[in-house]
Amino acid sequence: MDHDALDMSTDELPVSEWESIEIELLIEGLYRAYGQDFRHYLRSSIRRRIRNRMCMDGVATVTELLGKVLHEPDYVNKLVNDFSIKVTEMFRDPSFFHAFREKAVPMLRKLPEIRIWHAGCSTGEEVYSMAILLHEEDLLDKARIYATDMSEWAIDQAKSGKFPLKRMQAFTKNYLHAGGSKEFSGYYSTDSDYAIFNSSLADQMIFAQHNLATDSTFNEFHVILCRNVMIYFDPELQNRVHKLFHDSLSADGILALGSMEYLIAPWKQHYEELADGERLFKKKALER
Amino acid sequence: MLRAFKFNIRSKIVIGYFLILICLGVSIVTVTDRIEALQNEVETITTRDVEIHNLIASIQYDAISMETAQRGFLLTGDESYLAPYNKGVSQWEANYNSLYAYISDNPSTKKELEEIKVTIQDWIIKAGEPTIAMKKQGMEDDIIAFFQNDVGKQQMDDLRTKFDAIGNQEVQSTKLHIIDLENKNRLLTIGIYVLLLIASIISFMIVSFVSRSIVKTIKQVVSTITEIASSGGSLATRIHVNTKDEIKELGDATNQLLASLEAQSWIQSNVAEMATMTQGINNIELLAQSFLTKVAPMVNATYGVFYIRRGTGDQQRLEKLASYAGSGEETGKVSIRFGEGLVGQCALEKRVFLINQPKEQAPLITTGLVDFEPRSVLMVPIEYEDRLEAVIEFASLESFTSLHLKLLEEIEKDFGIAVNNVAGRMEVERLLSESQVLTEELQMQQEEMRMTTEHLEEQYLIAEQKTKELEKAKEELEDYSEQLQKSSQYKTNFLANMSHELRTPLNSILILSQLLAENENQTLNEDEAGFAKVIHTSGTDLLKLIDDILDLSKIEAGKVILTVDEVNLTEIPELMKLTFNPIAEKKDIAFVIEMDANLPNVWYTDGQRLQQILKNLLSNAFKFTDKGSVQLRFEHTSQDMLAISVTDTGIGIPKDKQKLIFEAFQQVDGNTNRLYGGTGLGLSICSEFVKLLGGSIELNSTIDKGSCFTVYLPQLSQEKLDSILLAQQEAAAAAELMAAESEVLEQEMIQQITENARTSEFAGKKVLLVEDDARNVFALVHALESKNMQVTVAGNGKRCLEILRSESDFDLVLMDIMMPLMDGYETMREMRKDSQLQSLPIIALTAKAMKADRDKCLEAGASDYISKPLQMDQLFSLMRVWLTKQVGN
Repeated sequence: MDHDALDMSTDELPVSEWESIEIELLIEGLYRAYGQDFRHYLRSSIRRRIRNRMCMDGVATVTELLGKVLHEPDYVNKLVNDFSIKVTEMFRDPSFFHAFREKAVPMLRKLPEIRIWHAGCSTGEEVYSMAILLHEEDLLDKARIYATDMSEWAIDQAKSGKFPLKRMQAFTKNYLHAGGSKEFSGYYSTDSDYAIFNSSLADQMIFAQHNLATDSTFNEFHVILCRNVMIYFDPELQNRVHKLFHDSLSADGILALGSMEYLIAPWKQHYEELADGERLFKKKALER
Repeated sequence: MLRAFKFNIRSKIVIGYFLILICLGVSIVTVTDRIEALQNEVETITTRDVEIHNLIASIQYDAISMETAQRGFLLTGDESYLAPYNKGVSQWEANYNSLYAYISDNPSTKKELEEIKVTIQDWIIKAGEPTIAMKKQGMEDDIIAFFQNDVGKQQMDDLRTKFDAIGNQEVQSTKLHIIDLENKNRLLTIGIYVLLLIASIISFMIVSFVSRSIVKTIKQVVSTITEIASSGGSLATRIHVNTKDEIKELGDATNQLLASLEAQSWIQSNVAEMATMTQGINNIELLAQSFLTKVAPMVNATYGVFYIRRGTGDQQRLEKLASYAGSGEETGKVSIRFGEGLVGQCALEKRVFLINQPKEQAPLITTGLVDFEPRSVLMVPIEYEDRLEAVIEFASLESFTSLHLKLLEEIEKDFGIAVNNVAGRMEVERLLSESQVLTEELQMQQEEMRMTTEHLEEQYLIAEQKTKELEKAKEELEDYSEQLQKSSQYKTNFLANMSHELRTPLNSILILSQLLAENENQTLNEDEAGFAKVIHTSGTDLLKLIDDILDLSKIEAGKVILTVDEVNLTEIPELMKLTFNPIAEKKDIAFVIEMDANLPNVWYTDGQRLQQILKNLLSNAFKFTDKGSVQLRFEHTSQDMLAISVTDTGIGIPKDKQKLIFEAFQQVDGNTNRLYGGTGLGLSICSEFVKLLGGSIELNSTIDKGSCFTVYLPQLSQEKLDSILLAQQEAAAAAELMAAESEVLEQEMIQQITENARTSEFAGKKVLLVEDDARNVFALVHALESKNMQVTVAGNGKRCLEILRSESDFDLVLMDIMMPLMDGYETMREMRKDSQLQSLPIIALTAKAMKADRDKCLEAGASDYISKPLQMDQLFSLMRVWLTKQVGN
């Protein structure tokens, strides 16, 4: 494998030097003008999102986009919203939730209270999944689920507890594969477009806007889920977030990552894997 | 004693064997000697005894031969008989001497033997010789006499006895000899055994001594080796041998082997350590750092740098990735081209460079206190599949040994793979996460596109819906207008009929009341005549009202037939004056008619209707004017319109009522009606006629100052008239409806669209209910049909399959589990075997809330389950989910 020759630019457009400079300027502009810090986001992803936005709004150059960002304050939200990729589903990777039920739940059962942090919860599908899982394990009452995302829009969506009907069949299948022990249909009612999840599930949820790139921790947690979030970060930011998580986890706390994510080198030694291949890690006791 | 000489094993063995051989030799010589002695003795005994017996026998024989020969001669006198005798005489003494020689050692036998000699000599002297001499002398008588007193016979007998005795004695002595020999023999045997024993003991002692001395050293070596083996290969242990023999050599050789093994194992364990170290590292920098940290102490290096290859082709460079004991960033060059310096050369040639005592300004090795100059510098290339991956440089205060080089050589092989692996793994991880990013972005983009599409679709749908609704509305309108036309026709007909029917009795009333009021016969008193007048006036009013209604209804029904012809405008004033002058005079109001100068004489329009309009307007004007004037004015406008204005100085119309007065049955207020009378239809009819004639009507009015109605009329042709008429008809039909319903309709339409959307997921959906319990069937069918679903019921699994075989366009199946004939599980399994029913949603209705049952349902092919008793809300929610078209995934 020729690892040096590979460039991940799969886009049809070549990456010009000017474009790179423009993107740097745009990112710097976002940070300086609005405190939106995307400086440590994966350039390739940001570039694609910028191109996408440019294509949708018929903007010719990134500099033009920067102009819009600086002079049309509402445009920032649009762009920032673009940068946050909101792809999620309920009981995403059912085997993960299955493993969580088998490996993590017995550990949680012993705790007098359970604090869970869903970092980068997006539109909340997984937060509700977790609540359902805990409910079925009779743990929901003593749990608090802190769900955060950098996108206010996503948080608002998540708060509503409504998910489109046209994705519910897939969610049902996921629920069943994740080892759901009750009736999925017992957790929601419907209108013509949405499945509206029972508000009792949300009783223990706390939603807040939180940016992993800039904000610090806000509590000590027994479980931190951050699935398919850090794939958008460069190693430096990943390192920062891992530190944040490690500092925020209680002794024997559990860290859950996405199916394509790995513990980066310096942090690997601080965790042990709970379930093979499910990216479920237990924080090791403090090394002396 | 031996120890002092330090024999080697060979001499020990040789000496041992030699000693044993000597022992054996001595024993054999001794034994042989003894056997020989014994043999001699045996031989001696045998020959002597035999000789003795023989001699005894010979002597006996000689004696007997002499006697026999004496007697033969004596008998015969034959000299030949004397031969044995003579032989005996000559022989016996020799034999005797021989015998004597043997026996002389035995005194008793010797004595007897001497006696025998005497006896034989006696016989010869006394018997033998005398008798023979007698014969020869022929003295037979003497002979006989001699025999009568035979001395010889006595002697002979005596001799015989003595011989027997001596024979016995000799036998006895032989026996004694044999016993003696046997004893000696036994002694010899014992002696042999004793010797054997002694030899054995000596041999054993020698063997045990020699072997002990050999085994002892060997055991020492063996125990050392065992120790090494058992102590898990502590190859540092060495064998110590005190002897100077081959074992010592063996020990030395083994020690050499151990030393080489130790070196080998040091290399191997280090290599293995490196191999385990590289496992689990998936970061190249960490790998480089760990490598240096591990390897540098192994090779006694005090300074080390790890360069990794970056780029390909001509762009290949070496980049410093990690350092050992380096002073921060400064140690070593950060980036080196291939071929640049020794490190670059090492990369280029892929060979090891070792420089001892570099004289150039070598980088300093810094401790906390001092800086050293290295004595030796080593550069090792790391390769993978013939491609350089990295270069490691070490410097040391000592020289690198061949062992170090060998170690590095070994490590290099595996490490190349490790570097490549880690780089590969990093790349794979990066690619994986990047691919995840891409996937998610694509999903996102897809989602966005889907949203856009959906939005467009939705808009399209709404537009379509609206179009449909509009079309429907239009249709409805058309229907409506048709109906309206019909009803208007009915109305007209009815009104026409009615007016006719009304007119007939009304006419009678009018005529009769008029007759009564005239009171020609004076039969009524004044009051009664007044009543009749009132009846007549009211009747007239009623007739007028009926006519107006008839007109209006005709107009509204589009039933007015207009005829366009030349209207001579100059005639109109006369006609109007004729009609209204009396009223003007009566009310003392001025009636002025003005004609514009450039007014054409002829105008194309419906003259009759024009007159009607003017009459209406004028009568209106006169009605509401108590003083002042009423003016009628004709003008020809610049837009080629005929403008006719009627101006009065009456009560006027308030601004807010100006529009209303053209509506049917409207007047300024309720009081007006009472004050001025009239039906309120006049202006309506006017306005309608004006519209019919393609014109418009304007009103200018000020309260208490008067009003001015201006009618604008175009020149008309018949075609134009027709088109106006048609439009008017439609408008007439629609106007009412539109005015009343447009708002409602819109609201209704929106409501209907949303209503449709609300029920769309259920309305018209085909649901197959597989359930055997009649009560459940009844309840469910009722509930589902209330949502406009088409429900088909199958009483059992078999029936369900039959139904599905004949019609397969069901949207959803509700499947009870507990059923006769074929239960739900089996039915679902059968259904899923059919490729067309693979994706048909099946909702299992489970009786029990057990997870196992549900799992069984899912396994059998159910899409979802819901447990009985059914919550209808939950069921509908569930059905919504499974009836909604899904996206993605």
